[in-house]
Amino acid sequence: MRSPPIPEMATQEVQLNETLAHLKTESETLKTKLEEERAKLHDVELHQVAEKVEALGQFVMKTRRTLKGHGNKVLCMDWCKDKRRIVSSSQDGKVIVWDAFTTNKEHAVTMPCTWVMACAYAPSGCAVACGGLDNKCSVYPLSLDKNENLAAKKKSVAMHTNYLSACSFTNSDMQILTSSGDGTCALWDVESGQLLQSFHGHAADVLCLDLAPSETGNTFVSGGCDKKANVWDMRSGQCIQSFETHESDINSVRYYPSGDAFASGSDDATCRLYDLRADREVAIYSKESIIFGVSSVDFSLSGRLLFGGYNDYTINVWDVLKGTRVSILFGHENRVSTLRVSPDGTAFCTGSWDHTLRIWA
Amino acid sequence: MCSSSNSIIQTQKLVDQLRIEASMERFKISLTAADLVQYCQEHRRSDPLITGISASSNPFKDKKSCVLL
Repeated sequence: MRSPPIPEMATQEVQLNETLAHLKTESETLKTKLEEERAKLHDVELHQVAEKVEALGQFVMKTRRTLKGHGNKVLCMDWCKDKRRIVSSSQDGKVIVWDAFTTNKEHAVTMPCTWVMACAYAPSGCAVACGGLDNKCSVYPLSLDKNENLAAKKKSVAMHTNYLSACSFTNSDMQILTSSGDGTCALWDVESGQLLQSFHGHAADVLCLDLAPSETGNTFVSGGCDKKANVWDMRSGQCIQSFETHESDINSVRYYPSGDAFASGSDDATCRLYDLRADREVAIYSKESIIFGVSSVDFSLSGRLLFGGYNDYTINVWDVLKGTRVSILFGHENRVSTLRVSPDGTAFCTGSWDHTLRIWA
Repeated sequence: MCSSSNSIIQTQKLVDQLRIEASMERFKISLTAADLVQYCQEHRRSDPLITGISASSNPFKDKKSCVLL
């Protein structure tokens, strides 16, 4: 025979359920209010505002250099501030530093894990950071002595509980921002390996991140498998804005050069532009004929062009203001997995599952 | 009971987050988009991939070989 519930416990449970119900109602009300507020500001489309802007001319961009040397899929790359060196990482565990002008390999490191999904060049040009299935982000100082074993000086900085998907130095060699399959982003002190701040809010793997241009303050944007792009305050750890309009994983996010907007690329085959001050999506870059996911996006120096690397092996070049495609580039023989414009905007580099990197200009 | 408490904590976090987002100051697209356009236009001439800088100043483009007579 079941004993009746103790009256006190029953009252408590009723109270908890009431509190939960109140909170749920409040969250629904707030969500509706947010949607209404954002809709009020939608008085015009970006391409309408850009109607009077001169159309872009014909673009002739070709592969100018091919960097061969990786033994497997290239997963990530980053430019050095000197505008000529590049670091790239691969599924085979190798991290290579190249001189993109001459195509010479300057350094090579073999990581203890395969699938090195993330790599980044330090602002000073004196170190690189990388990581992947080892769940860590490690920093390797680059030696001028070619014979020196880079692996010996390796410093483990970040520790996540799942794969490292992206990493970036902040504006100095002293701090690194990471994103992970464990659903979080984190800010680390390179010297001590200490966790300075963690960023919780994504409901699934975080796949990408980008730091706001230094003039616009301490924020960064991240994108994940929960289809959300979140903007974070680096000091407080708070998520200050969130956008959920993509229909699938967000593989890449990149700030517009002024810092007032950012672009995203997704498995839903679209790139989108989000305006931070209007707090909404303001453009979608898509075509019915484009059905494969976007792995990586970046802007040209003025922000007028958006380059997207796709899983169908192509690069699509979009007119950011008018919303139209201006060019499609062929050359890679497998998925384009990573794409970055050089620091002085003279070229952009792509990495691919075809084991090569290409420089386009 | 325990799961009710957890749901409350989670929903409270959601409400707190939404309150922060709701309190943000927002601007009309007609204004913000105009700024995006202006930025592009102002920086157009210094964007090498738009202006298409000549082979001689782009280190990646091949220079024509010169013949010394």
